[in-house]
Amino acid sequence: MGFELVAPRSPEEAFRLLEEGAGAASVLAGGTDLLFDLDRVTTAPRRVVSLRHLPWRGHAWQGDTLVVGSTEPLYELERDGSVAARLPGLHTAIRAVGSRALRHRATLGGNLARAAPASDLLPILLALDATVEIAGPAGTRRMELDRFLLASRTTALRPPELIRSVTVPAAPSVYLWQRVRPANDISQVGVAIAHPGPAVYRIAVGGIVPRPRRLPGAEAGLLSDPPPGPERVRAAEEAAREAPFPSDRRATEEHRRRVVRALVERGLVHLAGGAA
Amino acid sequence: MSGPDGSALVVNGRAHPIDGVPSHERLLDTLRGRLDLKGTKEGCRTGNCGACTVLVDGRSALSCLVLTHEVGDEPVTTIEGIAADPNGRRVQQAFLEEGALQCGYCTPGFVVALTGLLSESPGATAEELLTDLQGNLCRCTGYAAIVRAVRTLRAEGP
Repeated sequence: MGFELVAPRSPEEAFRLLEEGAGAASVLAGGTDLLFDLDRVTTAPRRVVSLRHLPWRGHAWQGDTLVVGSTEPLYELERDGSVAARLPGLHTAIRAVGSRALRHRATLGGNLARAAPASDLLPILLALDATVEIAGPAGTRRMELDRFLLASRTTALRPPELIRSVTVPAAPSVYLWQRVRPANDISQVGVAIAHPGPAVYRIAVGGIVPRPRRLPGAEAGLLSDPPPGPERVRAAEEAAREAPFPSDRRATEEHRRRVVRALVERGLVHLAGGAA
Repeated sequence: MSGPDGSALVVNGRAHPIDGVPSHERLLDTLRGRLDLKGTKEGCRTGNCGACTVLVDGRSALSCLVLTHEVGDEPVTTIEGIAADPNGRRVQQAFLEEGALQCGYCTPGFVVALTGLLSESPGATAEELLTDLQGNLCRCTGYAAIVRAVRTLRAEGP
């Protein structure tokens, strides 16, 4: 249960502390997910490396691209009107994470690094073609989010690497989710659609195994702008067919298929200017 | 074992030494177990119920999901100190007038969370406040009076 808590002031110091703790060190950002595990002894680190003093907070627009520091709390994005205006799908997804009190501390980098299969942020970031900037002792590297996510709770990070920032190009976008309870619950499925250019649609879904993913089959059938009714229906049916849904305590496979079909169609209507 | 920055935890305006607090201890347990501030309640201990809500630097936080040593020098406000905040007093008064509690276990969390919302978003409508209060659960399901208390607050204006 006990562990050593350290809060390095530079990335280099953080890498060193993580390397020393090889295999028995955990990274702490907002802590809203890690502390959940620590209480249940699913993780028993000997050392916890807090990122709170690293200079990676903040977010800024670089032209049409939002660059978010990995330790930026989700609430800072939620309260920025430019995020709601230029990345509406991301804004909706952020609002779907936990409660306001949780979003005051939970970070974007933490959500990516913890890579929960039911994350509300991963589908929309996949649809928006987000890129992850990874920092390590040898320098930084960039990776598309789709390559960064390997499996449930598994990423391409190689210890002692850390996420430094996440880059998200602005695009009309929408995120729709289904839950048993609207608040403080985990989504059974989440559907994200980005519409970055004429007749270009990127669809991603969460709440599936082993991780959220794009649905290229559903995307390929969307050739018109805006897609007419039959085209939307075909894309929605293809999405429901294509995604590998699990049955678990949150929902059955069949329920997830039906909901995803409905949400994909609803999302496309919304992006065409209709009501979501 | 002392924490990494281990100096003091400022709660309701008073500094408490935390050198002896273990690294893994949660803010919730420090408040209740060491500082005898029992107004902050332990509900689910998983970040789902909001009963343990406190303000950290004026913003709501789930004290069950915060390590005490991670608070650093940011001031903590618990239900015991909420009346020092004018918004806190208004929220308490509204809950009192509407009888917005049944067993009362969730009440400190609701009062603290709503105080934080009023400070962060002074212009929020009653509906917006209620949406952002969704992180607080009442197991008695006594929501009707809580909703009335929020509407009362808004009827008074910001």
